Amino acid sequence: MSGTITLESVTKHFPGGVVAVNDLSLEVQPGEFLVLVGPSGCGKTTALRMVAGLEEVTSGQIRINDRIVTRLPPRDRDIAMVFQNYALYAHMTVRNNMAFGLKMARMPKQEIRSRVDEAAAMLGLDDLLNRKPRQLSGGQRQRVAMGRAIVREPAAFLMDEPLSNLDAKLRVEMRGEIIRVQRRIAAPTLYVTHDQTEAMTMGDRVAILRDGLLQQLGTPDEVYDRPVNAFVAGFIGSPSMNLVPATLERAGDGLAVAFAGARIPLPAEALSGRPDLAGQAGRPLTVGLRPEDFGRPGGAEVEVEVTRLESLGSELVAYLTPAGTQDGPLLTARLDRGETLVQGETARVTVDARRLYFFDAETGAALGSGGTPG
Amino acid sequence: MITTPGMRVAKIVAIVLIVVWSVGPIVLGVTTSISTQREVNSIPSHWVPRNPTLQAYRDLLNGSTGQTTGGTVTRGGDFVHAMTNSAEIALGAAALTLIVSTMAAYALGRLRFRLSGAVLALLIGTLVIPIFVIVIGLFQVMANAQLIDTKRGLILVFVATQSPLATWLLYAQVREMPHEPEEAALIDGCRRWQAFVRVVVPQMSSGIAAVAAIIVLSVWGEFLIPLLLTSTMSAKPVTVLITEYVGKYTTNYPILAAAGVLALIPPAVLALVLNKRITGMLAGSS
Repeated sequence: MSGTITLESVTKHFPGGVVAVNDLSLEVQPGEFLVLVGPSGCGKTTALRMVAGLEEVTSGQIRINDRIVTRLPPRDRDIAMVFQNYALYAHMTVRNNMAFGLKMARMPKQEIRSRVDEAAAMLGLDDLLNRKPRQLSGGQRQRVAMGRAIVREPAAFLMDEPLSNLDAKLRVEMRGEIIRVQRRIAAPTLYVTHDQTEAMTMGDRVAILRDGLLQQLGTPDEVYDRPVNAFVAGFIGSPSMNLVPATLERAGDGLAVAFAGARIPLPAEALSGRPDLAGQAGRPLTVGLRPEDFGRPGGAEVEVEVTRLESLGSELVAYLTPAGTQDGPLLTARLDRGETLVQGETARVTVDARRLYFFDAETGAALGSGGTPG
Repeated sequence: MITTPGMRVAKIVAIVLIVVWSVGPIVLGVTTSISTQREVNSIPSHWVPRNPTLQAYRDLLNGSTGQTTGGTVTRGGDFVHAMTNSAEIALGAAALTLIVSTMAAYALGRLRFRLSGAVLALLIGTLVIPIFVIVIGLFQVMANAQLIDTKRGLILVFVATQSPLATWLLYAQVREMPHEPEEAALIDGCRRWQAFVRVVVPQMSSGIAAVAAIIVLSVWGEFLIPLLLTSTMSAKPVTVLITEYVGKYTTNYPILAAAGVLALIPPAVLALVLNKRITGMLAGSS
């Protein structure tokens, strides 16, 4: 099965002047799993609901499989949707929940039966078909919601934060499950979440939305390695990237970045991909350091005060302030558990200067092409 | 909470008073209905009949001449007929009101249309108008429509008087209901009305049951409107018929009490059956 979901300059104004989605254009490719991610209130759910036909489009066009559906009611769009709170029909059994859409389509009973059985087998629901939703656990309800979506064999899948009501362990499990099912069905899927980990782990591509505006659309690696602006850089990655006001200074024939008392010379590799960075010398900008780029051998050394340490067992998350600055920026660093840091004392940690990110201090736009990938 | 012995005593006294207040009349009714007229009139009063008898019930159901019953004439079958009228009117009014109110509540609670707030306010506003204010006008309207002394006339009036409260209660339920199941139904291929019938109404079933009980109980107990709008047995409900057992010179209390006891049974059974749902509805947990 192949199909696409296309949004072209889709805009949504709510009464009262709120622009929930602003000129959004993107295309979900055949079989692709595209994740729409952003903080709450960024318009991602509204965008999804417009594709579903549950929300009217103010302007722009939506196509599913190249068919214009902008003004069609939901039932004529050939889509299936999984909701955050599952939205199961509480008065129907699992079997009838899954069969409901097929019954509405007046499919022959025999066909309905075999499709529901097949989907139930795929999702491990065989033994639960005669239960009512209230007799199921959260994870099982989630599976029923998935099953209800897949039996329809729709042209496109829409999922609105389907995992956010599950506990952490189950969430990780269901992530894999959803991907497995989606790969098998191979229908284009638009998946909304506020959780960047979900976006990174599940998406073939990730679209980051902020205040109704699309910030960046790319593969997880692209948005991680080459964020187009400080917002994307801070949003993608966990813990978040450190974004610190800094200045770029000339140091001999090279450049150095100075922030909060620290001064890190930039090696030639850091500059090679970014010819326009030299022009920024002397101007204020924002420097971005990923927590995972601390503590690598061969980096520039910075003297810091260790404010707090959190051990995750496998690794150590350290909150550091550059030494000598009382209210300097708090930097988050992900370090090897072998690092010997002591809370409250000063220490020297290394920063991988090749992997710094630079952003315009005012617009937040990335300067140069961002950090070196890999 | 710390309870002192004094408070505990006060609590027990309060409970006893409430029980006596609510159960007392029923007990008195039952004992009176199995007494004889002579015993009821005896001084000092016999609270518990010495010779319990079901004669009053037989007189009520089979009919009696004034001779045996001290002037109260009952016609056999009238009482059962009136009970049937009451049931038909209460059930008919409940069914129609629920159809109207469920749809109205859904429309007011879900659909965006102009003046929906005003419509709701107007509807709820009618709850504060006492029925006495409109009975004269109502009588004229019903007379012009030739609906006097008909069950369907009474049903129409009760649909009008009951639907504001029913709509309001169901509206509150619609507002609390999640949107997603009906949206899922729309995506699953339903039109709006199909989603309403197949998904919304079943979701509202507990509220609908509770409101049904409230309507049946209150219509069953209606007196003034049927008194005004009925004149013969063709539409007279039991509440109105019972008053006719009060004679001009003497009243046969056992028959009156027997009628009261029997008239109490259907609503009592209904209340017991739907008790859980009604408390659920009132607690907002439906």
